[in-house]
Amino acid sequence: MSDVPFKNPGWAGNTGEFHLTEEQVRGKDFVGERPKHAGHASGSATMPYMLPEKNPDAKLFEGDYQERFEKILSRYPTKQAALLPALGLAQELRGYVSPESMDRIAELLDLSPAYVRGVATFYTMYNKRPVGRYLVQVCTNISCNLCGADEVRDTFLSQTDTELGETSTDGNFTVIEAECLAGCGFPTCVQINSEYFENVTPDEVPKILEHLKRRGGS
Amino acid sequence: MAYPYVSDREVRILSKYFGDPKQRRIDTYVKRGGYGGLKKALGMAPGEVVDTVKASGLRGRGGAGFPTGVKWSFMPKDTGRPHYLICNADESEPGTFKDRELIRWDPHQLIEGCLIGAHAIGAQHVYIYCRGEFFETTQVLAKALEDAYAKGYVGEDILGSGIKIDITVHLGAGAYICGEETGLMNSLEGRRGQPRVKPPFPAAVGAFGMPSTINNVETLSIIPHIVTNGGDWYRQWGTEKSPGTKLFCVSGHVNKPGNYELPLGFPLIDLIEDVCGGMRGGKALKAVIPGGSSVPIINAEEARACSLDYEGCVAVGTMLGCASVIVMDETTEIVKQVRRMVDFYAHESCGQCTPCREGSAWTAKMMRRIEEGRGTEDDLDTLMEVTQQMVGTTICVLSDSVAAPVQSSINKFRDEYLALIRRGERVGAA
Amino acid sequence: MAEMVKLTIDGHEVEVPKGTTLLEAAKQVGTLVPHYCYHPGMSSPAMCRLCLVEVEGAPKPMPSCVTTVAEGQVVKTQSDNALGHRRGVLEFYLVNHPLDCPICDMSGECHLQDYVHEEGREHGRGREPKRVFGRDDFGGDVLFYGDRCVMCTRCVRFMNEVEQDSRLTVVERGSRSVIDTFFEEGLEGTNWHGNIVDICPVGALVSKDFLHKARAWDLEHTPSICPGCAQGCNIDLHTRDNLVQRLKPRENLDVNGWWMCDYGRLDYEWMNAGGRIEAPLVRRNGAPAAVAWKDALTELADAARSMGGSSVKAVASPHASNEDLGALATLIDAFGGGEIVYRGRMAEDEVPLRGYPSLARRRDLTPNARGAELFGATRVGSADATGGLDDVASHDGVVIVLGDALPDQSADFGRDAALYIYVGQRGTPAAERADFVLPVTTFAEQEGTFTNVDGRVQRFWPGLTAPGMARPAWLILGALAAELGRAVGPARTAADAFTAFTGAVAAFEGLTYEDIGTRGAVINETVSLTGDRV
Repeated sequence: MSDVPFKNPGWAGNTGEFHLTEEQVRGKDFVGERPKHAGHASGSATMPYMLPEKNPDAKLFEGDYQERFEKILSRYPTKQAALLPALGLAQELRGYVSPESMDRIAELLDLSPAYVRGVATFYTMYNKRPVGRYLVQVCTNISCNLCGADEVRDTFLSQTDTELGETSTDGNFTVIEAECLAGCGFPTCVQINSEYFENVTPDEVPKILEHLKRRGGS
Repeated sequence: MAYPYVSDREVRILSKYFGDPKQRRIDTYVKRGGYGGLKKALGMAPGEVVDTVKASGLRGRGGAGFPTGVKWSFMPKDTGRPHYLICNADESEPGTFKDRELIRWDPHQLIEGCLIGAHAIGAQHVYIYCRGEFFETTQVLAKALEDAYAKGYVGEDILGSGIKIDITVHLGAGAYICGEETGLMNSLEGRRGQPRVKPPFPAAVGAFGMPSTINNVETLSIIPHIVTNGGDWYRQWGTEKSPGTKLFCVSGHVNKPGNYELPLGFPLIDLIEDVCGGMRGGKALKAVIPGGSSVPIINAEEARACSLDYEGCVAVGTMLGCASVIVMDETTEIVKQVRRMVDFYAHESCGQCTPCREGSAWTAKMMRRIEEGRGTEDDLDTLMEVTQQMVGTTICVLSDSVAAPVQSSINKFRDEYLALIRRGERVGAA
Repeated sequence: MAEMVKLTIDGHEVEVPKGTTLLEAAKQVGTLVPHYCYHPGMSSPAMCRLCLVEVEGAPKPMPSCVTTVAEGQVVKTQSDNALGHRRGVLEFYLVNHPLDCPICDMSGECHLQDYVHEEGREHGRGREPKRVFGRDDFGGDVLFYGDRCVMCTRCVRFMNEVEQDSRLTVVERGSRSVIDTFFEEGLEGTNWHGNIVDICPVGALVSKDFLHKARAWDLEHTPSICPGCAQGCNIDLHTRDNLVQRLKPRENLDVNGWWMCDYGRLDYEWMNAGGRIEAPLVRRNGAPAAVAWKDALTELADAARSMGGSSVKAVASPHASNEDLGALATLIDAFGGGEIVYRGRMAEDEVPLRGYPSLARRRDLTPNARGAELFGATRVGSADATGGLDDVASHDGVVIVLGDALPDQSADFGRDAALYIYVGQRGTPAAERADFVLPVTTFAEQEGTFTNVDGRVQRFWPGLTAPGMARPAWLILGALAAELGRAVGPARTAADAFTAFTGAVAAFEGLTYEDIGTRGAVINETVSLTGDRV
């Protein structure tokens, strides 16, 4: 356990001498509400997110998402290059990348379904099975490991009453280990859906879980 | 307000505004001279910009340390084919967290660097490839990009110069191997992110088959400063062969972990004891990894002799890499940490090359067995030989990265391995 | 004129065109550098890392399949350094490879067995449990044993680049990576997937048809030509116990590259089928009697001489060789002239292999229709090779049937013929009224040539021994023609038969078996398709 006199910034609560708010640290005060309509093709709305609310039967794509998809296509010289963002967008809607999603994306991008399967399974972040509303990814790589990441992970598991990779019975949480999340100076780093939680210690875990259960979106 | 820990030994060029949320905005950026470097560069010929960067001696900050100006000069001239500049923001090396900070606190600095770089290599399109986990970070970057487009710093006819440069932010999907330049290009093209054989090199055949250059976030972030102040200005810090400043990401058992911008050549022991406030809890230093998990581990004695530049690290038998200093105190179980690193590589191996695909998994299994107390002394010889078979025989150096922690830890902390093997004893914390 | 580069490989100096890879250059000094992922017909990803060689001055071992030659380069493929690297790589291949040799079809022709035997470690030192993938049915003729896979991705690249129907992919990454299809889609509907079994260097991809059928070392290989269609892919017959066990493509860059289609590959059972006529039969007193060849031919020659100027109507088969057809044409001349017709199946469409030039499973599903036409035969009947024989069936002169089993004809066939000679492989009701039934060999039991759709004459050799007293048709018909006074030199060998019987056709003029060799030769292009006979 770390016994530093004061902590680094990152939302896990107490930021000691560092007087930034959660919004400021996350940049939400700068970005504002995530725009629904894609402005510029490289703008924020085309970036995929991970949302707690998922609809496995959502159509790929219609409405705002169709607009986003078209903006994404315009960014690249080939349709194939839009594959990763398109899969991310499908996962944002449906919560995971199913065979049916792979088939549909293949159709949209003139690729073979087997090819899309090969690409989708290569990358860790495409969930192959449905996950809970909140996907808790605890970094246990070396820098966080040196500062008690195993304890944080185990606390998440016991507090959510799950095994690694399983979803809790209330459907809220799935806990997995992640590789280095690039927050090594703020151990332990935990990513929950799209948000980073830094400086997480085992006694903050219940607070975080409560906070998530209470609020709606991510 | 100071970003959590600031040391007065720092030379804050890149990280000056870390922790100040107002400085993300384009108006505050321009007010402090932002986009001045771009203006200047647009008035220079591309070759002149390249020469300026060459004169500065800037070496790539992504880990390989290749001179940036030289890399830019590899781009072919007058082919009529589109050129691409790719910014490598796929920061996945364990111990590294500087690029995320650079993007989320000073996104316009990076954007300006990309624009100048694109102008220098004749590229009309820049792709900033961010790792998939950077949801929040890319929101900041994308917002800054929209503002820059709105104000005419990006897009058609930049600042009336007639030059067109577009920037696209692209998210990855969770693969460390996409931080390798050709793996990144394959991932950008919508393929599995597996590295390519070189030759051909990216400057000849890169993204989408076109001439491309890939640079790290930190490298591109320093470009506006170099162009504004001149190449020689950058050389006032650092050493002859490793000029300039570097963001050192310090993590592990120090009192004040974080990013520190220091001149290259800074003594490692000063970094730990002075800048970072010393070892936490007053424990003794046991080992340091000065450049991210892919470089050999050095023990306390070597750490005391190590100066943090590319040559200095080689002199003590390690490498500077991306300057991610991981500090381990006497409570560290070296075998466990090495096992965790090898697990990481086994998980992240792309699977193309047999030595890496099979060797990383095999090494991980052996390390696990040793950690569980079921190892033998022969296993240590096997580990040394097997990891040596992984060095130099593959397309990319992930394979070599498995060898670094395993071989250096067996050489320098053999007694810990032996304690586990002979008595099932774990040295360090319980 | 290509620019040439001089370099030294294993102490031998060679000169090769610029751009040649070290692996190909090494072949010229007789060294085959072990490799998996490289294949001349596909892209080179250089990922198996087995072809590593030492190049003087280079800091790391170089993959010889993609490293190109440089002037003055000194390459060592057998140095301690190179062998050490390859031994290390082979050790990695064995770490997870199951000890399946006793039950693996590939045993005996396996590149992993061969390379480990030549260059691998003597003892394994992997003590960890191996990863398991199990067996997967990919559909079509292919079974996949995932544990044995060495991840060379030749199969994936074949489907992507050569068949151009991306059905296979690598799933997952790292040591969890495995080859798979898109879930249940499999390989159904593809037409060239059998080739991935050929190019798989180990026993990961196996043919269901050949599964556990025969051991590789028991098989004899005989070069032949696929009789499935008019493309004339070069193949090998793999035989054991005088049965064809499987067909494999043989390399010929001018015809089929390294490939053959699934239709032709799996259509060989008929070569093993029974029901063969075993002896010459002569009709005496209304019933067929088995006689010796000498007697049959003597009687037949007598009968033929008494025919005087009767016209001949013949039915030939486009599955017969050029030599057989040529002998038939000569025999008809000896009778005083006549007509030849032939029937053959035609498919509705052509099935090209898009990634290789001019290679397709042709619509013409016979190997020698072109040959038949060069010898003056005309195609009759429908696309399923029936009908068109009414004239022949009721002809009152000489009726000769060569090779066509007449499955659609009635027992009245040839009832009005003055002389009805049936020369074929299997008994058929339509031969009931034949005066003479002469057993001949299939293409698999004789030496000969076919002429493919592009006019290429290609040789095949016998892989099976003929059943009973069956003989090649060119021998029988040639002997008969000689008896009737049309001796075109006593043709005792297929080579002589070729020169003798094709010599009359301008298209074949000047060609000999030596010219044709194992690669084939294209006929005289100025001759029209219907065959001008001199």
